[in-house]
Amino acid sequence: MIADRILGAALIALGALGAVSAMQLEVPFAADPLGPSPFPAAVAMLLALCGLGMLLRPTDGFAPPERRMAPPLLVLAMLLYALLMLPLGFLLAAALMATTVALLFGARPPAALLVGVTTAITLWLLFDKLLDLPLPKGILPL
Amino acid sequence: MDVFTALGGGFGVALQPGNLLLAFIGCILGTAIGVLPGIGPLNAIALLLPFCLALRLPPESALILLAAVYYGSGYGGRITAILLNMPGEPSAVLTTLDGHPLAKQGRGSAALAISGIGSFVGATLSVIAMTFLSVPLAKLAVAFSPADYVALIAFALSLLGAVSDGPAIKAWAAGCLGLLLAMVGVDSGTGVERFTLGSLELLGGIDFTVLAIGLFAIGEILLLIETRLRTEAAKLGGGAKLSLREVIFCTPAMLRATGIGFVIGVLPGAGASVASALSYTAEKRLNGAQGKFGQGDLRGVAAPETADNAAQIGNLVPMLSLGIPGSGTTAVLLGALLMYNITPGPLLFEQRPDVAWGLIASMYIGNAMLLLLNLPLVGVFARLLTVPAWVLYPGVLALSFAGVYAASNSAFDLLLAIGFGVMGWLFRKMAIPLVPIVLGFVLGRMLEDNLRRAMSLSDGDVWALLGSPICLMLWAMTAAALLWPLLRPRRV
Repeated sequence: MIADRILGAALIALGALGAVSAMQLEVPFAADPLGPSPFPAAVAMLLALCGLGMLLRPTDGFAPPERRMAPPLLVLAMLLYALLMLPLGFLLAAALMATTVALLFGARPPAALLVGVTTAITLWLLFDKLLDLPLPKGILPL
Repeated sequence: MDVFTALGGGFGVALQPGNLLLAFIGCILGTAIGVLPGIGPLNAIALLLPFCLALRLPPESALILLAAVYYGSGYGGRITAILLNMPGEPSAVLTTLDGHPLAKQGRGSAALAISGIGSFVGATLSVIAMTFLSVPLAKLAVAFSPADYVALIAFALSLLGAVSDGPAIKAWAAGCLGLLLAMVGVDSGTGVERFTLGSLELLGGIDFTVLAIGLFAIGEILLLIETRLRTEAAKLGGGAKLSLREVIFCTPAMLRATGIGFVIGVLPGAGASVASALSYTAEKRLNGAQGKFGQGDLRGVAAPETADNAAQIGNLVPMLSLGIPGSGTTAVLLGALLMYNITPGPLLFEQRPDVAWGLIASMYIGNAMLLLLNLPLVGVFARLLTVPAWVLYPGVLALSFAGVYAASNSAFDLLLAIGFGVMGWLFRKMAIPLVPIVLGFVLGRMLEDNLRRAMSLSDGDVWALLGSPICLMLWAMTAAALLWPLLRPRRV
């Protein structure tokens, strides 16, 4: 119930902001009679309306995770990866992330490390060598 | 042009060795991702798309590969459903009802065989229907004006609420969100920046692969990691093999399911899950008294699986002929074609017959390959279920990120994908469907462009939107689809 209410309120805010921002667009010249404002403004208002509906008539609840710490830790691991990939390079960042994810999925530490390193090297070979899609090298001398 | 000549040309494309190989790879990948819970055709295609672009595959080859993954996944979901009592794909939920009891009775291999045959029957008959239906439908749509398109897209979007499992308002909210996400970036008509929050990275708009991989791949892994994992694997069962008599016994059910599945599939908005649920219910109503539905009736396995595959193919018809995708995965396929600068729709069959007919011809070949792959090799695919989660999902996640980066070369897009992943996870937990977001995203620009074109043509007269009989009919259907969830009795 409460989750629906919070999301409903958030959608109302998002819709209102979107509608205001769309209506305040300054159009240098009008290429067509409608212009870029009305459509997004209308959709944003519809979104706010849906949010209002969810706020007034909330439905079933939000099932708490069985493993409460796992999702935030996974998000943290992913964020670290996104931030570290350019400075450290793909290989190290991907190995670090894959190892962490394997641990979160219940692997023993040595197995997780093996999975992480193998995953990173396989993807590196696949993207950088086989498909010629360069990935950031980072600090490793490659 | 004669259908058979055109189809012959298509086989000329599909039978080229490279394209045959791609179809084969797609079929194997498709079955495999169908087997694995948590990886569906939608995120698999989103992941493969950067590869296709990077390898400079021509559009028809890329589409042959991606489509094979798509319809191949319809063969894989049943394996997990029957052996583990959990659907490998959302549309295989109904297959668990009779499939798993059959497996427990030692008839797992028979259930797998009949569902494989059902998948093949449903898919192939639907490809035949598609062969004859696509061009007439496209010809009808050639005459569509921008105003007609506005009404058609509005209808496609309005159906999202009517067919959604949960409250319609949540599907509508998700659809609006998708439409708004599509507006982010520089407006092509006037050069005005919309919803960019001053960010340079958002000027070009949100990349489609980032949205799809974030919502579906990353969101799904977040969902998987929070639940305790099941470990028990199931056996194929050494019971009596499927007999010819049993196949004949199931044939009427499969034919009915093909009809239901294909029609549901062609309708925009309604997907394979609806089709398999409807056909299972239909069989149970028809034969409930003499059958043992729920305790292991072969027809209860054959019907939903047949309908599932028939609907998947049906979903492709409006995508190719009208340029309007009916499901999340066909929206991704449409996104893929748009990245190749090919616009599906009425003109596709005339301008790029190699793409349109090459795809259709490859589906005949691909489904035959899938039948051959799935009957004898079902055990190999089933073994995929013994790969532990901690080996599989770190790889899927790393591949997702590498794919996002390869497609955009920007670390910003990685953060954006994580953001969409968290959003997708929270939405799934709150019963907000994600497919409307993708559909809204793909249809958003199309809807706005057509609306503005219609307004230009009419010089700003709003009534032009109701200016043709087709428009009026489509708007009436839209209104009905919007009112239906408000009027139908509330399900508790």
